[in-house]
Amino acid sequence: MECVVQGIIETQHVEALEILLQGICGVHRDRLRVHEICLKNNPNLGNVASEVRLLCDLEQPEPTWTVKHLGGAMRGAGAEQISVLVRSMVESKVSKNALRLFNALGYKLDHELLRVGFAFHFQRGAQITVTVSSVNKMLKLHATDEAVPVTPGIQLVEVTAPASSENYTEVASAVSSFCEYLAPLLHLSKPGVSTGVVPTAAAAAVSLMSDGGGTTLFSPHTTRIKTAGLAWSI
Amino acid sequence: MAAMEGVAMQDQSQQQQQQQLVPPQPVAVERLNQAVVQQLNLEAVKTRAISLFKAISRILEDFDAYARTNTTPKWQDILGQYSMVNLELFNIVDEIRKVSKAFVVHPKNVNAENATILPVMLSSKLLPEMEIDDNSKREQLLLGMQNLPIPSQIEKLKSRIDMIGAACESAEKVLADTRKAYCFGTRQGPQILPTLDKGQALKIQEQENLLRAAVNSGEGATSLRKILSQLCKCRISMEAFQLHAHYSDRIGLRLPGDQRQMTPALPMHLVDLLPVGDGVHTFSDASGMYMKNTPPLSSNSIGNQGNLLQASGAQLIGRSAASPSAATSATSFDNTTASPVPYANSPRSGTNMMNTPSPQQQQQQQQQQQQQQQQQRQKMMQLPHQQQLLAQQQFRQSQMQGLGQNQMSQLHDLQGQQKFQQLHGQHQMQFSQPMGHQQFQGRQMASGHVQHGIGQSQLGQGNQLNRHLSQFSGAANSALFNAAQGTSNSQMIPNMSATVSSQSLLPRMQFGLAGNNPQRSHASQMLSDQMFNMGASNPGSMIQQQQQQQQQHNTQGAFGNMQPNAQNLQSNMVALQNAQQNHPNFAQQRQQNQQ
Repeated sequence: MECVVQGIIETQHVEALEILLQGICGVHRDRLRVHEICLKNNPNLGNVASEVRLLCDLEQPEPTWTVKHLGGAMRGAGAEQISVLVRSMVESKVSKNALRLFNALGYKLDHELLRVGFAFHFQRGAQITVTVSSVNKMLKLHATDEAVPVTPGIQLVEVTAPASSENYTEVASAVSSFCEYLAPLLHLSKPGVSTGVVPTAAAAAVSLMSDGGGTTLFSPHTTRIKTAGLAWSI
Repeated sequence: MAAMEGVAMQDQSQQQQQQQLVPPQPVAVERLNQAVVQQLNLEAVKTRAISLFKAISRILEDFDAYARTNTTPKWQDILGQYSMVNLELFNIVDEIRKVSKAFVVHPKNVNAENATILPVMLSSKLLPEMEIDDNSKREQLLLGMQNLPIPSQIEKLKSRIDMIGAACESAEKVLADTRKAYCFGTRQGPQILPTLDKGQALKIQEQENLLRAAVNSGEGATSLRKILSQLCKCRISMEAFQLHAHYSDRIGLRLPGDQRQMTPALPMHLVDLLPVGDGVHTFSDASGMYMKNTPPLSSNSIGNQGNLLQASGAQLIGRSAASPSAATSATSFDNTTASPVPYANSPRSGTNMMNTPSPQQQQQQQQQQQQQQQQQRQKMMQLPHQQQLLAQQQFRQSQMQGLGQNQMSQLHDLQGQQKFQQLHGQHQMQFSQPMGHQQFQGRQMASGHVQHGIGQSQLGQGNQLNRHLSQFSGAANSALFNAAQGTSNSQMIPNMSATVSSQSLLPRMQFGLAGNNPQRSHASQMLSDQMFNMGASNPGSMIQQQQQQQQQHNTQGAFGNMQPNAQNLQSNMVALQNAQQNHPNFAQQRQQNQQ
């Protein structure tokens, strides 16, 4: 199970977001370059088509493969009240033969994406991962070197945290309280719910990018953010 | 006690008189109310406290003496004295309590530890340092105001306080304004900041929807996909077939077909995963039913298709286990029958795994073959029948280039036709292809007899074969039949359905079985019917069937046993797809045939 929210940010503000995240999370960013291959099997005999994703981490010296299955999201009145999306997720490391295996099982390539960006992994109430990436598509099959962004001016921000059925409420609240910190720059919501950009993003980005001079901001967070690089916890 | 009190009263009154006698000093001295003073009876309390103190000290001395002399104390006396002391203390506390709640603090819990410090702690007089501090602060505050009368001092202090208060308020206001401006802690944008104009917001909204759709559901452009799905639904048509063949190499996932091209160079992490040049087999969706290489059709009536399908069948068969073939052919097969088809390597499609050469070899060959076949398919369709057959042979030959199998060369010799010289490659292809079983239909010489890995070439040759067969005597055919029966069925039967299923893509296969089977769209049905019929029919009827249908022999397995029937095998050598199995036999047969 995992709790997930997504948001968008304009590419010009990504650097400011990185500074903000570095200040909040207190860890250094990890580069992200993942080739995501989404496989779907053809439903035979009336079964429902199932989908599985193969993620190849191209950032490592040796590409590592992960298989991931995203299940349905939690539904119901309780789910609607939670501001994050809770869905079942199963993930595992696999060898590079996974693609062959799934092809042999009858899974065909449905679509593939290349995500390029960075990610932060930290612990704040829950093990939270924030990824900021530009989503690229490949015009030629598997041509990851020639990928072009699906939306050049906008990048995707995703906040995920693994959860279990016992503690998902705590994890959800941890994720949503973390998202509050990102409020000046972007608005996060459940996948599938569009949010638009935040009007204060430009101003916030400017303040984050500036070097401490200029306008004095009284918020304790921003003053500390300006001293980014110090590890501190809110 | 009373006497003492009386004395105390007198003392107090004396003190008061003394105090009154003293001339009033310039500094006003704080005094308690006289009545209160009297009530407090301070002197009396002091006297009593001192006497109590003396009594307690006397007791302690006694204890010391006892301790020193080591004599046992008389407890009766000591207890008596203790009770006296206790009573006295109680009375004193009672006295002062009545009056002095407001003024007096008396310790509750006194023991040896805090006895010495308690008086200091209880006194309200400031410590010397504290007193100095206090005085200095007062000096600072009242700077310049010491001389003024007190009310004015008070007023000045008040005004100071007001000013400070005003400053604090304005500072807070500034804080709040700035906080609003940067929206810390609030989601709503202030009216001050410029909001995105509508057009820009719309654009961003579009982009966002694109992005979210791409990430969450992989929606890109799906134009080609839609085309193919439409084709899939309609009945097979040559145009559709050709269209599909045209796109067979270029079907992309969700991008328009003309944009999606074969990637010549796979990225590093995929290089050794995917067969070279065969990347397209991973394509998806409803068109998944399409076989990239349509399985071979073989019937006279669909000879045209047969040629085309044969060509593709070889490729289909040769596909490695790693990849279910991405069906690219536009054959619109019944959805019911199409289901097992896409999975070329499913167990149903044959047990040729064991016979398959390395997938990479095959796929390389197949790719070449595919291209050639597609070209030739279109040509063939327009040729008249016989020319088609010839063209098929030539087609096969061209396919054979680069394939390094020697086995088919024997077949070529056997048939005495130069055109088959390069069949060896095809041969390899065929035996390794699970789809070869398709060609069992109509050529079944025995019930349950299924040929393994008969490739496309068989179809083309099957055409010829029919003609050849028709020339043969019935005896030859019956011999063939007998030989075919000799083969083990165990291997064949499980493969039958697989092979037939692979042919299920071809609804137009018309198996003109002599009245036995109505036309059926499902190849497996036809196949099974044939099987059943064959078991019952005599060789004569079988021959008719063979003649009617341009099915390829699946008598591959029988060849091993057909040594004595070398002549009969001549025509069936085309069907010797599994050359590896029958290699020794071929040599013999060839010789025999050549004779």
